[in-house]
Amino acid sequence: MSAAKEEAGWDAVQIARNDHVAIALRDLSGSVRVRRGDEVASVTLLGPIPLGHKFALADLPAGSEIYKYGAPIGQLTQPVATGAHVHVHNLVSQRARQSAAPKE
Amino acid sequence: MVEKTFLGFPRKSGRPGTRNHLLVLGINGLVATGAARVAAALPGSRLVATPYGRGQFGADKKCHFRQLVGIGANANNGAVLIIGVDRSSADEVANGIAARSPVLVETVTLDDTHEDALALAELGIRAGSRLAREISRARRQPVSVSELYVGLECGHSDASSGLAANPLAGALADRLVDAGGTAVIGETIEWLGAEHALRHRGAKPEIGEAIVLAVAAREAAVTAAGVDLLGNNPGAENIRGGLSTIEEKSLGAVAKAGSRPISGLLPFAGPPDHAGLYLMDGPSFSPESMTGFVASGTQMILFTTGPGNSYCSLLAPTIKISANPTARERLESQIDFDASSVFQARETLDAAADRLFAEVIGIASGTLTWGEAVGEGAECFTRIGASL
Repeated sequence: MSAAKEEAGWDAVQIARNDHVAIALRDLSGSVRVRRGDEVASVTLLGPIPLGHKFALADLPAGSEIYKYGAPIGQLTQPVATGAHVHVHNLVSQRARQSAAPKE
Repeated sequence: MVEKTFLGFPRKSGRPGTRNHLLVLGINGLVATGAARVAAALPGSRLVATPYGRGQFGADKKCHFRQLVGIGANANNGAVLIIGVDRSSADEVANGIAARSPVLVETVTLDDTHEDALALAELGIRAGSRLAREISRARRQPVSVSELYVGLECGHSDASSGLAANPLAGALADRLVDAGGTAVIGETIEWLGAEHALRHRGAKPEIGEAIVLAVAAREAAVTAAGVDLLGNNPGAENIRGGLSTIEEKSLGAVAKAGSRPISGLLPFAGPPDHAGLYLMDGPSFSPESMTGFVASGTQMILFTTGPGNSYCSLLAPTIKISANPTARERLESQIDFDASSVFQARETLDAAADRLFAEVIGIASGTLTWGEAVGEGAECFTRIGASL
């Protein structure tokens, strides 16, 4: 039993190394610390990111396949910049669009 | 830092037990009460009694038989006392169990007592008490972690599940598989949208294809009933929590499976051939899903939840894991493993996974879970067809 006892050392996590997004561990804004593997990097958010929501870790063009959990979770409908909120306003499912009854 | 052994009950063949149950197995709804009567007179015994067992046909009958046999053959049983109606079906189940497991089996049926239910109870109590004394001779011994087969389930998820508890369960699965052990996740419909990721992880191309087909088949069955799985998925609550797409939601659930290659797709309640990571094609409702795991042979279940979920397996010790800090405070003892440190960035996933592995070893070696301490546990048979 060797639970780390130090204060919270980061505000967001990148779950897998090839993920394009990090996940907010609490409601965030401004400059935040992102845990990426064994390192903690600093990212400046472009707006508020609520707990559980995603923000971009790089500048990404429209049409990019976005990875989370090391796998694609959808495609960008517009370009996003580092620190931008990635959610339903700029990310669409590739699975739902392939289904028999696509919902735009 | 991964432990190499746990203290288990070695069996003559197959996996060791993490427990040494006397299982009273009612194999027909007509003797469900009779089986309960017997189990009530045998302190410490575990009762599983199907309400069905007759009037079934085709795939549903096969699936039910596979569940009965698998539940009986689980390595956590030191002995099984079958309570049946007719001699021939009781023998059929006993033979099915014997083909898979060296567990001690005795059968008593209404045939033996000319339909006298109270005489059946007496026969059962006498046979059960013999079995109980026999299995009490067993002692725990160091056995390899590679003999451990763990089921991974989730129920009542929230933002903390996909962020911390499920990836933590996945990290545990990775460690177990790397140590030569075996893990399984089920809940086929929760793979919807994650098929592409799962397909690529199949150890052979045909495994990936089988996973995709299993999702499509279940989706088609649900769609045929007029339910649109994609239209409201993710739902408004999911979207508020930060989930944008069905892929993302499903990948959060599938995170429980970690990152190792998938060795095979198991039919519901089917046993794996080898060690490794498996998927099981089955229902998403936890009681049914977990009984599928137990019938497949899991000697332990890891159950991730956000706000809490009290359901436990009866035969496989069930470890409740939550990363939600308020749930842990509210349900202080009901949550067996607190993963809120990962959610609150006080601990890395790797460090927490090492702690969880140690906890798994402890519980496999006899430490009680919350469910065991309070007697929370059941098994639930699934049906996949109409009755005669």
